[in-house]
Amino acid sequence: MALIEQNKMPKEGAVIWDFPLRFFHWAMVGVVAIAALTGYLFEGWWLNIHVYAGYALLCLLLFRLVWGFMGSYYSRFHHFPLARGEVIAHIKSLLKGRSKEYVGHNPVGAWMIVILLSTLVLLVLSGLFVWGGQENSGPLASVASYGIGKASEEVHEVLAGLLMAAIAFHVGGVLVENFIFKHPLIKAMITGRKEGAIAQGQVRVAHSVLGIGLFVAIVCGVALWVNAAQGPRFIGAQNATYTQECGDCHLAYHPSMRTGDSWQKMLLSLENHYGEDASLTPKKRAEILAYLQENNATTFDTKVAHKIGRIETASLRMTDTRYWQKKHDDFKPATFTHAEIGSKVNCNACHQDAADGRFSESAIKLPKGVKK
Amino acid sequence: MRKMIFTLLGVGALLGTSYAAQANSVLILEGYQAQAQMDDPAFREFSAERGQEFFSQNHTGGKPQTPSCTTCHTADPSGAGQTRAGKTIAPLAISKTPDRYSDFEKVEKWFRRNCTSVLGRTCSAREKGDFITFMKTR
Repeated sequence: MALIEQNKMPKEGAVIWDFPLRFFHWAMVGVVAIAALTGYLFEGWWLNIHVYAGYALLCLLLFRLVWGFMGSYYSRFHHFPLARGEVIAHIKSLLKGRSKEYVGHNPVGAWMIVILLSTLVLLVLSGLFVWGGQENSGPLASVASYGIGKASEEVHEVLAGLLMAAIAFHVGGVLVENFIFKHPLIKAMITGRKEGAIAQGQVRVAHSVLGIGLFVAIVCGVALWVNAAQGPRFIGAQNATYTQECGDCHLAYHPSMRTGDSWQKMLLSLENHYGEDASLTPKKRAEILAYLQENNATTFDTKVAHKIGRIETASLRMTDTRYWQKKHDDFKPATFTHAEIGSKVNCNACHQDAADGRFSESAIKLPKGVKK
Repeated sequence: MRKMIFTLLGVGALLGTSYAAQANSVLILEGYQAQAQMDDPAFREFSAERGQEFFSQNHTGGKPQTPSCTTCHTADPSGAGQTRAGKTIAPLAISKTPDRYSDFEKVEKWFRRNCTSVLGRTCSAREKGDFITFMKTR
């Protein structure tokens, strides 16, 4: 009994940031750095890494939200000094060039955490919608429409800017606290202890182990969800005759890549198909025609259907659409005649998910020897 | 013992399909032979040499993008070709693609299409027979 009473007493030199919280913080630093680098600086085909960083963020954030209720004393949101009075008093003293030392977060710092965490939660959510709606990948692929994905991308970009600003404030505040006011915040986030601070509550090893266990459980849960919600590879319905007959000389283009009208025009002029006779028996042509009337750019809600499929061209070629040309204008004409590519219409030489109709930026892989 | 039986059965099945493919291609050639004789009573037999010449020469009358069989199939029938769209074509030589000339519908489909593209006309039974006879020697 006496022992427990003693533990409840404020204690000098005690751990204020438990191990799971410190792990969360530094993991966050690494993962956000990867996400920001891949998001801002790298080519679209680094999107895979960006998405993995996003899933990692999802796990870390879920953990932090739970830990805000069941972590040790200073990790709990309930103990954040967020009250208006405290914030105003803190800002007033800052303006006078003083900063009262808090054991856990100070009021401005605590609000900073709230802003950082909410921005990150919204970033991960909007990111999942972009990934699902625009790239037709990930757990929200079957839920998010292309329009939602596109709108989410705008939101995602604004939030990313906000996050960068918030991180700048957070780091700036910590540096000022640490080096001007001499409050050892950085060391505390590494060792967990703040010299001379009289800490509330007590951090137990078992509790920290529980925290790590919780994080592992969240990682497993998220991984299961991501895997279970994965849709089929091929988007929409397939037709064996179409795949066979239209896949003889080139990739059996996904039906979402042209409109029903364009497909019909093409099927009625197969005797001269871009300089070759690609004629079919009437029976096969009728079957394919029926399939493409049911499945074409207007019946699919994917990026390629919206950006290329629904844009009709006089030549019926998808490579004559402005979007196709804009997306490929970095490449010299000679690139397309490279032995591993052959022609502009050999989409799957680089787009590994072309046959499925996905064309995700993350699935672009240039053949060996081909450079941008 | 059982393993041996299975191995034998496996080998038998393989030989069987390859024989079936060969038997089919023989039937297809016999069909072209009969047709060629109807077209020209003086016709005797197919010739690999004529097939080779037909395969490698530049033809006129077809589409400008495809003057010769070799445009897509390359000059070496035992190597892979490439369509103008960039897709790889399996070798034409029977030694490399044993079931190449075993499906009559498919054989006719490609002669129909490619003769229009390369020669601007249908091919005669003699030309088709010479072509396959040449590919059998490769």
